[in-house]
Amino acid sequence: MKGNNIYKPLRAKLVDVIDESPTIKSFVLEPEREFSFATGQFVELTLDGLGEAPFTPSSSPLVKDRMEITIMRAGYITEKIHRLKPGVVLGIRGPFGRGYPLDELFGKEILVLGGGCGFAPLRSLLYNLEAEKDRIRKVTFCYGSKNPQECIYKPYIDNLKTIEKFEVYRTVDVADKSWTEEVGVATVLLDKVEVDIEGSVAVVCGPPIMMKYGVLKLLEMGYVDTQIYLSMEKNMSCGLGKCGHCMMGEYFVCKDGPVFRYDEIKEQPDIWK
Amino acid sequence: MDKVYTVSTAEWQKALGEIARTSRVYAPVAFNGHQDYELIDGENAGNIIYNLPKPSTPLKTFLIPVKENVTADMEEGGKTVIMGIPSCDLAALDILDEMYLNNDFPDIYYSRRRENSVLIGYDCHSMLENCHCTSYGVKPWPERHADIRLARLGDSIFLQAHSEKGKGLLDELGKHLSISEAGSNDINHLNEKREQLAGVLNQKNIRLPGYEPSGKLIEESPERVWTSYASTCVSCGACATICPTCTCFLLVDRPGFEKIRQLDACQYPDFERVAAGEDPLEELSMRFRNRYMCKYVWKPQKFRSIACTGCGRCIDTCIGKISKNELLEELASEKKR
Repeated sequence: MKGNNIYKPLRAKLVDVIDESPTIKSFVLEPEREFSFATGQFVELTLDGLGEAPFTPSSSPLVKDRMEITIMRAGYITEKIHRLKPGVVLGIRGPFGRGYPLDELFGKEILVLGGGCGFAPLRSLLYNLEAEKDRIRKVTFCYGSKNPQECIYKPYIDNLKTIEKFEVYRTVDVADKSWTEEVGVATVLLDKVEVDIEGSVAVVCGPPIMMKYGVLKLLEMGYVDTQIYLSMEKNMSCGLGKCGHCMMGEYFVCKDGPVFRYDEIKEQPDIWK
Repeated sequence: MDKVYTVSTAEWQKALGEIARTSRVYAPVAFNGHQDYELIDGENAGNIIYNLPKPSTPLKTFLIPVKENVTADMEEGGKTVIMGIPSCDLAALDILDEMYLNNDFPDIYYSRRRENSVLIGYDCHSMLENCHCTSYGVKPWPERHADIRLARLGDSIFLQAHSEKGKGLLDELGKHLSISEAGSNDINHLNEKREQLAGVLNQKNIRLPGYEPSGKLIEESPERVWTSYASTCVSCGACATICPTCTCFLLVDRPGFEKIRQLDACQYPDFERVAAGEDPLEELSMRFRNRYMCKYVWKPQKFRSIACTGCGRCIDTCIGKISKNELLEELASEKKR
């Protein structure tokens, strides 16, 4: 990145669009040259002439020629992105920030708690952990969504369940007749899991309200602040620690995060907003 | 310490006119009751104001323009000489350099402008109502970042190079004027003026808490302080726009993957709003408080530099007549009680 113009995006062709749920789609991109990122880092995706927004890739960081970004329809830019068809050229800047601390996860049990579209960055982490499964003890993945239709990555989940050392628990806030798994908010799953808390690390990503109650529940279970990692969502714009939009107390979330250990940020203002 | 040289004002102005043929030269001139930088040519060099605080525009605007295409190739602009910079604006370069020249993401637009500029700092020989540099450890004369220091006494200009760039410009100017070494009487007189003004500034701001204590007071202050002081704030963002250290910006997209960097302010609604709707700064009083927390608490935690250099422009410019210094003095006196 050094010496380059830090504001210029790399071109990336949209090659496929996957419907994940009524509100969430995955966009498969082929960057004009190899693009490396660490799991949990984010990119700024530019829609030419319209705007830019931050997303964490949902694909494996080990794949360099293709990248998947999973996006929920939430605002002006994401609304426009959802209308895109394969063939269009987008821009990407990055990767930015500090991703998941893989070295801290190796040798341990990993409890992964996800909610809604927060599964996107976590899938990238899960791909990475799967590739490194000899170096981990166990992954317990708990995922909550609003309803069965909003439960994303179904084929991926089916596959994950078959992989040694990986356990999957799912819940929905509101079930229908087809749903055979848990019902209730994501944190109810934490009552079901069996984890060796002392030898474990928890990773949480989801809507702010879920992260807040997720952390409270983890602390109640006996986790300590230094065992919990969170992916923070703020209005990251430049990605460079300059524009100021993602300041969270003394941190620029774009540069110092987006992944933080809970003890680093628990005293900062508005972490759940 | 480099030698102090002296030259007559008339000769200096003539030499500036010569330099202006090949470089852009900016210096402060008077406009309806205030002063601001103007491009200098042979014609207007006589209107330059010396050693009076302070240009309305902070120095940052030369390095980070209000609006700029940051994906375009930068023009090879040659040298820019900026003269008449007060020490508060020079001190602000500490934090701007930390942010824009850092090794992780150096900003080529900032660094090229920084390299191409020769900065001539002024001693301040008087103060404006809201000047408070000395309260934050900034002297009212250029201590760092100035390539040349300049002060005028009577009809004589005194110059001291502070960097290789400054020496280079003095050498170049030397071709157009007869420069001589300043006598010790004049140098002593200049030093006395400096200390005298520092004393006046300290006396005027005697009730104002220092930079670090201000941070503690702000952090501990109750919500009512912010709602009360923010009651006349209209979120215009002038305080941030005119601040020598505020550089928050927005990237605006244009067709062809162009990005326009535009000065922004945390005082504007939606500054921190995310797509899903959460906005920690939704309340105006929270945005108002954010600026104080950023300047006195968070930035000093994050950077080695101070984020307010005491120029007082935010107070001068506020259409809600909000005085930052009054607020801090009130917090300090409440604490004492």
